[in-house]
Amino acid sequence: MKNFIKQLFVGLTILFSIQQCFSQLKVVTTLPDLKNITEVIGGAQVDVFAIATGYQNPHFVDPKPSYIIKLSKADVFVTVGLDLETGWVPALINSARNAKIQKGGEGYVDASTNVSLQQVPSSVNRSEGDIHIYGNPHYWLDPLNGKIIAQNICNTLSKLDAEHRTVFETNLKNFNAKIDAKIQEWMQKMQPFKGTKIIAYHNEWVYFETRFGLQIMDFLEPKPGIPPSPNQLAKVIGEMKRDNLKIIISSPYFTTESAELVARNVNGKVVTFATSVGANDNVKSYFDLFDYNVNLIVNALK
Amino acid sequence: MLLYKFVLRVLCCLALPFPLFAQQDSLATSDSLLIKQLEQEMLKQTETTQTLSSQTQSRSGISTNPDMSVIGDFRTAYTGIGKRKIETYLNEVEFQIVSVVDPYARAEFLFSFGKDLTTGDHEIELEVGTLTSLSLPYQLQVTLGKFKPVFGKVNTLHPHYFDFVEFPQTINNFFDAEGMFMEGISASWLVSNPFDFYQELVLEIGRAGSQPNASFVQGGNDNLLYSSHLKNFFDLSDNSTFEFGISGMTGPNAFGFISAIGGIDVTYKWKPIQFNTYHSFIWQTEAMISNVRDTINSNIQSYGFYSLMEYQIEKRLFLGSKFDYAEFPGINNQYDKVTSLLLRLQPTEFQILALELRNIQRNYASDYNQILLRFIFGIGTHGAHTY
Repeated sequence: MKNFIKQLFVGLTILFSIQQCFSQLKVVTTLPDLKNITEVIGGAQVDVFAIATGYQNPHFVDPKPSYIIKLSKADVFVTVGLDLETGWVPALINSARNAKIQKGGEGYVDASTNVSLQQVPSSVNRSEGDIHIYGNPHYWLDPLNGKIIAQNICNTLSKLDAEHRTVFETNLKNFNAKIDAKIQEWMQKMQPFKGTKIIAYHNEWVYFETRFGLQIMDFLEPKPGIPPSPNQLAKVIGEMKRDNLKIIISSPYFTTESAELVARNVNGKVVTFATSVGANDNVKSYFDLFDYNVNLIVNALK
Repeated sequence: MLLYKFVLRVLCCLALPFPLFAQQDSLATSDSLLIKQLEQEMLKQTETTQTLSSQTQSRSGISTNPDMSVIGDFRTAYTGIGKRKIETYLNEVEFQIVSVVDPYARAEFLFSFGKDLTTGDHEIELEVGTLTSLSLPYQLQVTLGKFKPVFGKVNTLHPHYFDFVEFPQTINNFFDAEGMFMEGISASWLVSNPFDFYQELVLEIGRAGSQPNASFVQGGNDNLLYSSHLKNFFDLSDNSTFEFGISGMTGPNAFGFISAIGGIDVTYKWKPIQFNTYHSFIWQTEAMISNVRDTINSNIQSYGFYSLMEYQIEKRLFLGSKFDYAEFPGINNQYDKVTSLLLRLQPTEFQILALELRNIQRNYASDYNQILLRFIFGIGTHGAHTY
C-alpha cells in the first residue's frame, strides 16, 4: 500500500510537471536582464530564453538561425526596444514566422514603453557616431525603470494567461517592493559620492549616472561606437589631470587597453561595470546588477 | 479672480516637472523624501497609459515611411592585360526600400544603377521586388516577386555584402558576376525536428531573371526553373557555428534543353561572444556540378568550387584569402583558377574599404594579375543581413 501511494505520488508529480510544461508561456527576451525580470514576474508560469549573454555587447549580436527556432515557438518576445537591437532583432523577427511576436502582435513587449528617455536627440546625423534616434536605450540601468519594465511584462503575461493574472500581479508587487527597499540601500551607499566626476568608455551609463548622482565628464570613444583615438585619449588625460578625475568605467565587452593607458597616465583606476545580468558570476539577478555596480564604484571611490 | 486662476495655473505648470529635478537635488538632504518622490513618479508612470507617455515624451523618427538606404560601390582596378589597364569608376549604386506592408507581409524593392563598362553609362535595373509573408502557419514563409534564389551561400548576397571585391569565379562562371536572379515564388519551411536544430527547406519555382546568366534562360516554352535548398545550422558553442547546405536547380538552357546544377556549401564561423566586435574568423566553401544538355543525346558536365577564409585582426581590420576553380557550364575543357588575397578596412558599419590582389589562370587564354580597390559607402537605414 505504501509503495502504491509512493508510486501514485510520483506519477502525479510527473503528470503535474508535464501539464505545467505545456501550460507555461514560452518567452524569448533580447537581454538577460529582461529574462530575469520576466522570470520574477512569471514565476513557474513562464519558460524564458535570453538571446544575448550578459557580457555581450547588446548592439552587436549575431542573428543566428538557432534564435529563429526559439522565436518561432515563442508566445512572448520582450525587447529593450528603441533602436538598441536594430542591427539584429528585425532579421530574426522577420524570419520567425510567428505572428504573435511581430511588432504589434499580442506577445510583443516593448519594455521601453512608458520609460522616460534621456538624451533624446533633437536632430539626427550619423556624423555624430552611433546616435540612437529615440534616446539613450540603456534605460534598464536605472533600477526604477526596472519597475516599468516589470509592469510592461506583467501586462502582457496577464493578457495572455489571465488565469494567473493575480500571481503575476503579486509577483510584480513583491518585485516593486524589493526595488523600493534596495534603492534606499544603494542610494545611501552612493550618497557620499554624489556629484563625483568620472569618465566612461561608452555612452551607456546616463540612467545609472542620473539615478545615483554621478557625473560622467567625457568618454574614451570620441563619438558613440567609434573606437578611442589617440587625440581623444590625450584630451581625456588632460581633462582627468585638470579636474583630478580618477575613475574610468568600462564594460565587459570592451578591451581595456585604452582605458588602462589613460588610467596609468593619471594614476587612476579602471572599473569594469556589469552592464547586464550574467555579466560575471556575481551578477545573477537584476538586484545583483546594482549591488555589484554600486559596491564596485563605492569601493573604487573610497 | 481671473488673475488668481492664471497664477495658479502657471504655478501648476511650473511644478509639474519639479519632482524630476528635485529628485537629484534631494539626494543630499533626505533619502526618504527622495524615495517618496520617486514612488510618486513611478506611480504616475505606471498609472498612465501609453497614450499619455507619447504625449509627454515624443519619440523622434516615428513614422510610417519605409526604411530606405543607398549604397555606393566605387572601384579602382589595375588589370595586367589589355590596352586599358587602369579603370576607375562608380561600379554600382543600390537603392533599397523595405517596409512591413501590414501585419501579414513585408515588401522589399532594390534598384541598381550599374555601370555598363562597354557604354560607360549607368543603367537602372530592378534587382529585387518581393512580398514576403510574416505569419503563415506551420512555420512556412512565402516570398513572391523577383529575388535571388537560395542556392548555396554567396548567390543570395548582394555584392556589397560579400567581403571580397568580386564574387567567387564559380558563381561568375555558373551564373553571372552578381549571381543569379529569378522571378517566381519561393516557399520556405522551418523543418520540425526532435533535436531543435535549425533546418530550413526552400523550394522555388519561376523563371530565370532577365539578366544574362550562364546556366539558365527564361525559355520560350512552359519549362520553368525549379530551385531547392536545405540548410542545416548548428551552434557548436557560444562562439562558433557550423552550417551545411545542399542545393539543386533545374531549368531551361540556351541550347533549348534542360540544365541542372547541384551544390553543397559548408560554413564555419568563430566569434568570441564577449569581444565579438574585435575578432572573428570565417571559413566557407561551396562546390557545384552542372549538367547541361546541349543536344538531344549529349550532355556537358562542369565543376566548380571555391574556398575562402577571413580573419578579423582587430576591430576595423580583416585579412582574407580565397581560391577558386571554375569550369564553364555548357563548354568543354575550359576553366579559371583564381587566387585572391584580401585586406579589408571597416572604419564604421557604413564604410568599407577592400583591397584585393587576384591571380587569374586560364587554360583558354592568357593568365593575368589584377589589383582591385573597392570603397563601399552607405546612407540611410539598411536592415541587418541574414547570418
